[in-house]
Amino acid sequence: MGQVIPMDFDTTVKLNLYESLARSGEAPTAMEVAAALSAPLGDVLAAFERLGQKRLLVLEPGDPARIRMAPPFSGVETPHRVFVKDKSYYANCIWDAFGIPAALHADALIETSDGHTGEAIRLRVEGGTPLPEPCVVHFAVPAAHWWQDIVYT
Amino acid sequence: MLLFRSEETLDGWCRARNLPRRPIINLDQLWHLAVTWYGNRLTVESRRPAPDEMVAIFAAIGLEGPFWDPKSDQWKGKLQD
Repeated sequence: MGQVIPMDFDTTVKLNLYESLARSGEAPTAMEVAAALSAPLGDVLAAFERLGQKRLLVLEPGDPARIRMAPPFSGVETPHRVFVKDKSYYANCIWDAFGIPAALHADALIETSDGHTGEAIRLRVEGGTPLPEPCVVHFAVPAAHWWQDIVYT
Repeated sequence: MLLFRSEETLDGWCRARNLPRRPIINLDQLWHLAVTWYGNRLTVESRRPAPDEMVAIFAAIGLEGPFWDPKSDQWKGKLQD
């Protein structure tokens, strides 16, 4: 029998929303998490806020009940689409596009595009490694500034 | 960060925005970062790496210097340089 690790409420909320994302491809609202956990909405909203302060979530501006980012997953459509088995997800950036198969421990097809020309680029992760594809990833923003505007980064 | 088909299209992106070219990495390096950051994201133990851990993670794939240091103040007010 494995070790049982006691969870605080924020961790319970985080795991629930990630499980929901992995299952459906869509970020749950605070109302949906509250219903799933049979918890008061106010408690879930407070947990969302604390998870945001820890940079584990980015909430939708002006709507603290909705998730913009639960990295590596995006709560909104983006140019980075990730297909895993019979499901599809949106990633926040190309790093997170690789982050989804890394988090799900699964093979993936990633549909994205060249940042300048818009040329469609397909990347594949198979057997725990990316298949070779001619391309480069450019970091325009230094690490110390990534969270000043995480949507731009 | 953005993906480019080649260094030529990256240079075109920089020219179009009058922005300097900054570090690039390849897909193997990106995959290493993805696994390190997100490999346990759906587990109880998951958390963001601390700043010092981030520096070590980047250094492990050859990314060193103030650009990759989340505590560096070298870039304050210089992001258009």
